[in-house]
Amino acid sequence: MKHKVVFYPDNKQVEVEEGENLLRAAMAAEVSISASCGGDGTCGKCRVIIEKGVVEQKPTSRLTTKEIEQGYVLACLSEIKSDLEVRIPPESRPGKFVEREKLPESHILSARGWKEYLSSWQRHPPIRKFYIEMVPPVLSDNMDDLRRIRRTLSKDHGLRAAVDADLSVLKYMARILREADWRVTVTLLESDLRAKIVKIEPGDTAKKNYAVAIDVGTTTIGARLIDLNECVVLSQESDYNAQVSCGEDVISRMVFSNKKDGLVKLQSLVVGTINELIAKLVSRSGVEFSDISCLVLAGNTIMTHLLLGLTPKHIREAPYVPTTTNFSWIKAKEFGIDVLEDTYAHCFPCVASYVGGDIVAGVLASGMSRSDKLTLYIDIGTNGEIVLGNADWLVACSCSAGPAFEGGGVKHGMRATKGAIEQIRIDRNNYEPMILTIGQSKPAGICGSGLIDALAEMFLSRIVDQRGKINPGIDSPRIREGEHGLEYVLAWAGEAVNGQDIVVAEVDIDNLIRAKAAIFAGISILLESVNVDMSNVEEIFIAGAFGNYLEIERVQMIGLLPEYSFEKVKFVGNGSLAGASIGSLSKEILNEAKKVAEKMTYLELSADVNFMDKYISALFLPHTNIELFPMVMKKLENK
Amino acid sequence: MAFQAPVDTYQGKIREVVVGKEGNQVAVGGETTLPFHFFEGEMPKKPIIAMEVYDVAPDNWSSVVLEPFKDVLNDPVAWAKKCQDEYGAEMISLRLISTDPNGENRDSAKAAETVKAVIEAVSIPICIYGSGNIEKDGELLKKVAEVAEGHKVILGPSQEDNYKQITAAAIGYKHNVSGLSPIDVNMAKQLNILMTQLGLDADHLVMDPSGAALGYGLEYVYSIMERLRLAALQQNDEMTQMPMFCDFGREVWKAKEAKTEDEPSWGDPEKRGILWEFMTAASMLIAGGDILVMRHPEAVKLTKKLIDELMG
Repeated sequence: MKHKVVFYPDNKQVEVEEGENLLRAAMAAEVSISASCGGDGTCGKCRVIIEKGVVEQKPTSRLTTKEIEQGYVLACLSEIKSDLEVRIPPESRPGKFVEREKLPESHILSARGWKEYLSSWQRHPPIRKFYIEMVPPVLSDNMDDLRRIRRTLSKDHGLRAAVDADLSVLKYMARILREADWRVTVTLLESDLRAKIVKIEPGDTAKKNYAVAIDVGTTTIGARLIDLNECVVLSQESDYNAQVSCGEDVISRMVFSNKKDGLVKLQSLVVGTINELIAKLVSRSGVEFSDISCLVLAGNTIMTHLLLGLTPKHIREAPYVPTTTNFSWIKAKEFGIDVLEDTYAHCFPCVASYVGGDIVAGVLASGMSRSDKLTLYIDIGTNGEIVLGNADWLVACSCSAGPAFEGGGVKHGMRATKGAIEQIRIDRNNYEPMILTIGQSKPAGICGSGLIDALAEMFLSRIVDQRGKINPGIDSPRIREGEHGLEYVLAWAGEAVNGQDIVVAEVDIDNLIRAKAAIFAGISILLESVNVDMSNVEEIFIAGAFGNYLEIERVQMIGLLPEYSFEKVKFVGNGSLAGASIGSLSKEILNEAKKVAEKMTYLELSADVNFMDKYISALFLPHTNIELFPMVMKKLENK
Repeated sequence: MAFQAPVDTYQGKIREVVVGKEGNQVAVGGETTLPFHFFEGEMPKKPIIAMEVYDVAPDNWSSVVLEPFKDVLNDPVAWAKKCQDEYGAEMISLRLISTDPNGENRDSAKAAETVKAVIEAVSIPICIYGSGNIEKDGELLKKVAEVAEGHKVILGPSQEDNYKQITAAAIGYKHNVSGLSPIDVNMAKQLNILMTQLGLDADHLVMDPSGAALGYGLEYVYSIMERLRLAALQQNDEMTQMPMFCDFGREVWKAKEAKTEDEPSWGDPEKRGILWEFMTAASMLIAGGDILVMRHPEAVKLTKKLIDELMG
């Protein structure tokens, strides 16, 4: 349900979902309110008066009983429950109130809810558990044990597929059936028309059927524990890929893998990170290790090779050939994952050396490979991958963006986890920031979406010029000479979780601009290569693990993506993880993944003479050719 | 039917930049067509030649190019006058080499005295380049702008990392600026955007897309200049419509073909060096150069003759 919120004296209004945070609504309405604790409620600066309507307020010691009676609330602790009229008292302004330029309504996209994509897929997990009670064999009914299981599965559960079993299962089958008095739970791995028994347990454990979906990213690994029966996420974790210590991007990882024992080390590092994540998921949710039935993984081609211990040597050398792009179900233990012997894992198929299973997963999850609409899918990660097409054709390219959007290579960058600053507004007059963190806790660093906001806001408030250089002439204590050149202080040490100033330095901005330029150049080349103009694109999906929110205006303000109408855009969040999650719940998507991977045409950007030119012209805010950004141009002229 | 050569039309026009003090001003630019395409548009101003003068005697010039200046090498004022009066220079390119912190590191105020002496001694317009040192140039050119007030000189090279100071000095004392970019269309344009956004009138800007000599990257610079000019004329891209400043004399005389003297099989060293500079100059003219910075008087003479012939 949507509610209308009006802010006075600005007289600005915004429409938000029920339950939205009031401070976030103020950001969306482009209204300035002091806020320096990230939404933790500790700074007590974001005091506003509710003149009409209802909010749900978390308890705070920052307001007196009298103030509460007068209608005061802390915006960061308030959830919107009805249409509202809110007054911002002068003391809650970062500076004195000045009529600001009228900005168009903000478009903040939320990445919550990958499950909305699930509905279009047939729910039929590739791994299912069946509790069966068999009639014990007698002389007149002496069929073998395996056929007895088959018969019961067919009779009681209508299973029509041909069923066989792993040798390891056959070895204990006879014993366990008899010990359990012919009442067992059978775990079946189904692919196409075949089914394989991978586990038999005594008694009824059918309710305990869990999968772990994993996005094996170059910089970040994300994992989710999913209850396959209930179709819910029990817990979710992420961490930096421990391979980062051996190189920040896929190229340096491949170089490292060529060194003596390099491949073994890389493989054990990534497996180590995954094992830690699984251990955390398990302990958080109270699920037993033995109840994890399967793992579904999606990673780029090189990450998938390294995970399985396959050499990526020939991916790096011309003519750039991977060992394989297609992976069948394998026992997870075989490549070192700390699960039981009979837990199977599946990796999403890859397209080519530099377009991998993470993209295939995301493309499938978004539904573009079944859509009639001309769709652009953009995954913003250490590699920026871009896919254009629809149900009939798909063309993809990949460009190296670096880890900036995942917080890597940025002084106070961090993953999009608790305490990461994810939304920022900077007052145009006194350069004071207004920040919101993930989990609304004390700020600990800045995640990708926060960096996008930071750069856009610093540009809009003229703290940086079009090259991204900080203007040292600005009179504010927040702009200063730091360890590595000029920097802007987003949060003072006293407000931050680790007692250190959180800054955005000029070098961070350089990294960010390089990353955005690579992605923009990739999009331009891909569109040109198939002679498509941005205006022909009917739907746009943005994927990436850089935060929970994405503000389209800010993304365009820095020229990360071309301009287009906001209605066309959907934010997928972590598309790779969404695809892996759906993959654990639907064997249909896994079957289709192979077809999509085969169908996708790969465009090699390094073979394109125009790439460098497009890249350099995008190393500017928003772009050297501002005519490409008419909306941004208008906004800048209005100032 | 007789053959009709195709004729292109252009939407854009190169800006006219005026250099020099009142009464002795020279304008460059104004083209509405590609260089010397008089059948397609106008080229109202002819390209001009600036001759190089150092504020200290150069220590690495070949004897071929030192010879014509041997009596004035230690006197920038006499050197500049000689270029103007004897060698037909249309502009002086004064280089404050002495200020380089990695060399003599002459004080900015002292270097500015040389500037003052030279501008008062000659009537032709002047372009003043620092040593190319980012920090020093920023401070130096501010002083230079001050002493050269009223002479409407060209200050340079303004680069990505010091354009703010140099542009501010040019705005304050009403001079022109030459923006130096590293052989890249986009970066040349970006620098123009940045400088104009500081409030510098776009008519006070020339572009230095980096110099190169025949055999040493000339075709690279050539194609960049060509693209800049096409963007300016065909696409009417305002931020590329500045006249182009070609600083190649020093590149030419670094080339071994121009400076090697003891290689008889390569022919007469004097003619060879002069022709190397002339050939480079000819290429720059065809690429759209508006101001050519050169060294040898004979090469200057040949180039002026070529310009006159091309202008008809």
